Amino acid sequence: MKRIGVFVCHCGINIAETVDVKRVAEESMKMDGVAYAQDYIYMCSEPGQTLVREKIVEEKLDAIIIAACSPNLHESTFRAAAEEAGLNPWQCEIANIREQCSWVHSDREKATSKAIHIVATIVQKTRLNESLEPIPVSITKKALVIGGGIAGIQASLDIADSGYKVILVEKDSSIGGHMAQLSETFPTLDCSQCILTPKMVAAGKHPNIELMTYSEIEEVSGYVGNFKVKIRRKASFVDWSKCNGCGLCMEKCPAKVSSAFDRELATHGAIYVPFPQAVPNKPVIDKDSCIYFKTGKCRLCEKVCEIGAINFEQEDQFVEEEVGAIIVATGFETLPVADLAEYGAGDVPDLIDGLAFERLLSASGPTVGEVRRPSDGKVPKEIVFVQCAGSRDPERYKPYCSKICCMYTTKHALLYKHRVHDGQPYIFYIDIRTGGKGYEEFYHNAEEEENIIYLRGKVAKIFRDGDKTVVWGTDTLTGRNIEIAADLVVLATAVVPKDSTAELVKKLRIQTGPNGFLAEAHPKLRPVESINSGFFLAGAAQGPKDIPETVAQASGAACKVISLFSRDHLEQDPAVAWVDEDLCGSCRICISVCPYDAREYDEEKEIVIVNEALCEGCGSCVAACACGATQQRNLSDSQIKSMVTASLGGV
Amino acid sequence: MAKIAYYPGCALNERSSHLDRSARDATVRLGFELDELDTWTCCGAVPPVSEERVMNLVAPSRILKDVRDSGRDILITICDFCYNTLKRTNFIIKSDEITRKRVNAFLADDTPERDYLEKDDSLWEDYAGEVNVIHLMEYLRDELGYEKITESLKRSLKGLKIAPYYGCVMLRPQNEIQLDNPENPSIIEDFITALDAKPVKYPYRTECCGSYLSVSSPDASTRLCYRILTSARNSGADAVVVSCPLCFYNLDSRQKAITEAYSDFKPVPIFYFTQLLSVALGVEYGRQGFEKHYVDVTPVLDKIGISTGKGGEE
Repeated sequence: MKRIGVFVCHCGINIAETVDVKRVAEESMKMDGVAYAQDYIYMCSEPGQTLVREKIVEEKLDAIIIAACSPNLHESTFRAAAEEAGLNPWQCEIANIREQCSWVHSDREKATSKAIHIVATIVQKTRLNESLEPIPVSITKKALVIGGGIAGIQASLDIADSGYKVILVEKDSSIGGHMAQLSETFPTLDCSQCILTPKMVAAGKHPNIELMTYSEIEEVSGYVGNFKVKIRRKASFVDWSKCNGCGLCMEKCPAKVSSAFDRELATHGAIYVPFPQAVPNKPVIDKDSCIYFKTGKCRLCEKVCEIGAINFEQEDQFVEEEVGAIIVATGFETLPVADLAEYGAGDVPDLIDGLAFERLLSASGPTVGEVRRPSDGKVPKEIVFVQCAGSRDPERYKPYCSKICCMYTTKHALLYKHRVHDGQPYIFYIDIRTGGKGYEEFYHNAEEEENIIYLRGKVAKIFRDGDKTVVWGTDTLTGRNIEIAADLVVLATAVVPKDSTAELVKKLRIQTGPNGFLAEAHPKLRPVESINSGFFLAGAAQGPKDIPETVAQASGAACKVISLFSRDHLEQDPAVAWVDEDLCGSCRICISVCPYDAREYDEEKEIVIVNEALCEGCGSCVAACACGATQQRNLSDSQIKSMVTASLGGV
Repeated sequence: MAKIAYYPGCALNERSSHLDRSARDATVRLGFELDELDTWTCCGAVPPVSEERVMNLVAPSRILKDVRDSGRDILITICDFCYNTLKRTNFIIKSDEITRKRVNAFLADDTPERDYLEKDDSLWEDYAGEVNVIHLMEYLRDELGYEKITESLKRSLKGLKIAPYYGCVMLRPQNEIQLDNPENPSIIEDFITALDAKPVKYPYRTECCGSYLSVSSPDASTRLCYRILTSARNSGADAVVVSCPLCFYNLDSRQKAITEAYSDFKPVPIFYFTQLLSVALGVEYGRQGFEKHYVDVTPVLDKIGISTGKGGEE
């Protein structure tokens, strides 16, 4: 019979206060198979681990049980210790008497009894545990980055610089994302394009980066190290291999389409590049707006293109790629102004959102950097900025803080004062949140030196009156209601995940949180990873963030990918399902219940096998298997039965 | 002709009888009859739902229970206060089981059959929110269809610019009333369009008229009504249309005080939506109760050739 050692941890007073740990050790000694039992104040400390290692050797133990905290925390610690002392790591088990016992009970007598039962249950499991070896899984050392904003660009560059191949997929025709739309960036006021475009060019030229713009993810299958990805390359109706980017087609196109890049403040043709510094600098034809596609006549672009790059017959193409890791960097959008009924629901002409104001401030924008309002092109003398438009409003809109608005609104007001010296900016705010290096100083300077009027309160209503945009708000510091007849109103609308993110996460099978942002594996300790292995997160798709944070997270995600690729192969936990080939009746129920696509029918053997690399060991197929052919390693039916008996007090 | 259970409420029985009459006239021409409940009491006019007191919910619940017991599941109201009170009471009864039980205990205690009930409670069925409370305008929009109104027009109101006024309780709170978006509604605008008139959009259409402040601080109400009416007038409106008797009272009668307080003020005629409807459906001019209005509406109707003089019938 196996000689089992039980080590009971006090966890300071975390366990010992509620559970009589000495009695747990004494009672453990009485259990069948237990050859040694001992308690100790901090089992995870170095002396604690030394005790475990020494006793394994001295007492000639075949298996050990650590009665302590959740296996999520220290299972790997103690398995490593066991291995050092010569045991197979799968001969080490954790009995969780903290999270599942001492922390949730107050009656010491009952809690102690429960802890003894928990240990007894794990003893039953351990008696029948087999020694296992990790399953080696190969890695395709190529990364897929979804989203070509600053997050995706940074992550791609970092991975590519370390020598691995990257496919960067972007659904628009150019990379750059929202950062390309911005004028100047807080708190240093460097020009956004000036710091972004070198990175765009570098990503476009990097030998290890394959750019796939105007492309979308169609399908993803596989698992960490071995993903298969199908990518839709949308028809641009321009042969990019021929196009030299001369721009003649765009000049001649008679159609007028309002520019999404310029936030509807300008128009471009049906054939267009979103902005002059686009990478790649190749145009696409917007099929919905193209006169030829709508009426069957025109083809002017084709006539003027001397090299014959226009191709109206082009169709969507599909490419399949194999990658080892996927970074999701799909970014954000802002809550549409039309959703804000009390702010005119999009019907007020001189009411725009923050990104539109960025375009008005931008030297490459529709007004060449002059602040002119959309309705009549006049320079506004009074501008009201409204923060938290849809944020921090759990009853009607979004409950969370969009994080970037306090800073960018201050920047907006400041840049406006720099352009229109006699102009008066007002900012309505709930709180000013300036957590960040140099942020508070930036705000202070704006408030004290630039004559920006900050009004603490929410805006109730905005409407058009003549050529003025009237804002009703409250200043909660003076307790007065305020009415401002402004020339222009700028809303800091809530940062929300891109619409397309919801669709994408279904294809990737990764999780999102309650507000639709991507969910990280651990909010503090694993902020750049998805809970699903092989997926990493970067940028505002995971939650509202500014540029420095986005870049930091992107580099963090890239580093995780590089560390994954630096290994020869991956090791998969072997405690997964296996099939007794003689018993399998190939009914295939297991295939239908497996959430990980790990069960597949083997035509040759005529049974359903387990793809060990995909199996997460959830046990669904084990429970579903009608003839008991599928079993889980180290959690067999006989183990579970004896565990249940032990947990109920039997032996 | 279909008969639909109808709760007029106190105002429509008295001061606003012209709202009641024009509604009855109009609906008959649209093919259904407002069938006044045989017995009804005061609904409580908002206070029942404005504080958490079970006792306050008993009167409106009794009205609703009577409708259910008469075998009907729809109750039409016109007054915004009655609508708000009855609909929200029903919402509470439906969604809050404990309150439902307590209210029903009061109701049972209050029935003439009480002695029998004590012996055999199988005679009693708790009121559980079975009745759907519908505003007449909601009925016209969702059940009849505004297009049916347009088809039935006997007189064109073309050329009239009408400013809708929503007041406070017709649409709020949104999650309980669910009639329209209270910040940016369109139900009255669409109604005006259905009458062939032109709705005027103006910023004050959802602002407060002062409601009961008219009693306690009339000056405040005067100021609020001045802003609403001036905004409507400046947006080109010939008249303002309302559905709430209290809004009507404030916006119409208060114009005397407004004229005294604000020298630049020009009076604006106020209509109940049912009056415009009934005029457009060809109901006799003299039945509209226009003589009850403080501000003369004749010039507005003159504008499109429907005046007292012609007063005539189709």
